[in-house]
Amino acid sequence: MIVFNCPACEKKYRVPDDYAGKKAKCKQCEATMEVPFPAIEAEIIEDVPVAQIASPPLPRRPVAAQFVEEEVVTARVVQAAVIERPRPQPARTTSQPQVSHEVLRGVSPNFAYEISQRPDFSLVTLRMEQGQKVYSEPSAMAAMTPTIKLKAGFKGGLGKTLGRAFGGESIIINTLEAATGPGEASFAPGIQGDVAHYSLQNNTIYLQRGAFLLHSEGVELTGKWQGAKGFFSGEGLVLLKASGTGDLFFNSYGAILAVDVADQYYVDTGYIVAFEDTLQYRVTVLPGLRAGGKVKSLFFGGEGLVCQFSGQGRVWIQTRHPRSFLSWVHPFRPTKKND
Amino acid sequence: MQYELLARPASTVARLMLQANEAFTCEVGAMISMTPGFNVETTTRNKGGGGGLIKGLKRMFAGENFFLNHFTATHPNQSLIIGPQLSGDLVYHPLRAGSLVVQGSSWLASSSGIEIDATWQGLGKALFSGERMFWVKCSGVGDVFLSSFGAIYEVDVNGDYIVDTGHIVAYEDTLQFSIRKAGKGLISSFLGGEGFVCKFQGQGKLYCQSHNPPSFGQLLGPKLRPR
Repeated sequence: MIVFNCPACEKKYRVPDDYAGKKAKCKQCEATMEVPFPAIEAEIIEDVPVAQIASPPLPRRPVAAQFVEEEVVTARVVQAAVIERPRPQPARTTSQPQVSHEVLRGVSPNFAYEISQRPDFSLVTLRMEQGQKVYSEPSAMAAMTPTIKLKAGFKGGLGKTLGRAFGGESIIINTLEAATGPGEASFAPGIQGDVAHYSLQNNTIYLQRGAFLLHSEGVELTGKWQGAKGFFSGEGLVLLKASGTGDLFFNSYGAILAVDVADQYYVDTGYIVAFEDTLQYRVTVLPGLRAGGKVKSLFFGGEGLVCQFSGQGRVWIQTRHPRSFLSWVHPFRPTKKND
Repeated sequence: MQYELLARPASTVARLMLQANEAFTCEVGAMISMTPGFNVETTTRNKGGGGGLIKGLKRMFAGENFFLNHFTATHPNQSLIIGPQLSGDLVYHPLRAGSLVVQGSSWLASSSGIEIDATWQGLGKALFSGERMFWVKCSGVGDVFLSSFGAIYEVDVNGDYIVDTGHIVAYEDTLQFSIRKAGKGLISSFLGGEGFVCKFQGQGKLYCQSHNPPSFGQLLGPKLRPR
């Protein structure tokens, strides 16, 4: 049984499991809604961590020729055995976030990846075999071997392109293909901060405006209208929705903390980077400051609006907020002269 | 209260684990995320004590917000993540006796047993130290979290110690400080870009930050569009 709320009017629905992923019309407000996947999925097969944490960092970056001979082969062998599900087990209680400074490594059917220089200046390096493709945000590419061909262009139809634009991303997506042989490409976000990897298994996660870095084949990225919920959050009206099966990398300002929510969790709206769609969310005021209580807290307390997550799933939060930095810089700007 | 500093040193946040009825007072806007078992109040005063309007106004001059947010755990094992605005580190200071004088914007949070008050440093010090006129004085018994711009380091002063203005985070009030010229003469002091420095005397703990926020702001400002 799946329990979910209409995204527009919050009307509660209860439907059988096989409705998951289907579109339906709300009886109350007639909005089109997508039935979410059930909160607990039984596809966790083994306790194999996706990323091999704490392996020693690369002594130096391999040149393309060496890399072709050694590293690709190992990637191919591991491919079949990889279980791509970053959540090790469904947590009973909301987990304690952890941050590590170690290099994150992993292998997926699409490429082998490495996130180094964490958490302040994270850099993603992908090792691709011939014919493999990735799609990245423009100007995210930092370095690549000559075997990779870069092509800028629109991806998806007009609707998807505009959706991305609403989601605070560029309408152009760069396609990088290992065209003439295996290769390596590095990507860095425009802002200093961390990068996280997520493996989509026919599910959906939502990204905050501007958080998208790159994705592999099989992932679909669209903008999603959030209605009034997004409107009050002050973070733009549209979240980016990533769904399908494949790899997704997203970035933050400051470090990323991953929290496995079990029941309820509150995050200041400006600090959300991404969250799984198994979580229900709504923008609300902090407990204790609810209507009838002390309204001044909402307006003067600075952190009146938070996002309340409930259900089970993972939410990624960033440790700094670009807007606070901007408001700190503001007084240092020169004043306009009146001539 | 248990705490853990995560993602040090440039993007540091503090994760606080509170038991039922433990309370923490935070700078407005410091809360990043929390578990549901908290009651949040916004006031101009210290938790359960004095303060009120005048103290709120004094805090405003000290570069802090007029208001304070109090987080009181209503259930056991609640966690709260707090962080400062700028890139930099956090430090935990257990306050057991005496008081700690904190530079205006470096105070992030303190436990409910700590009294927060703005303190006047005198006109001369205010004008020349490059710092705010008021500092935040924390006294009582409890825990204090301080934030810095850049890395934070601790100096155990015994005798004299000189710190450039703008690099002070906090000091124990067993120390006295006075404003000096950096060099012998006025000209050499200012040509060298150092201007005035703060000279600490006595015995006590001093927290310094590696970087100076006004210097960074003055570098960035002229490159931005006029407001």
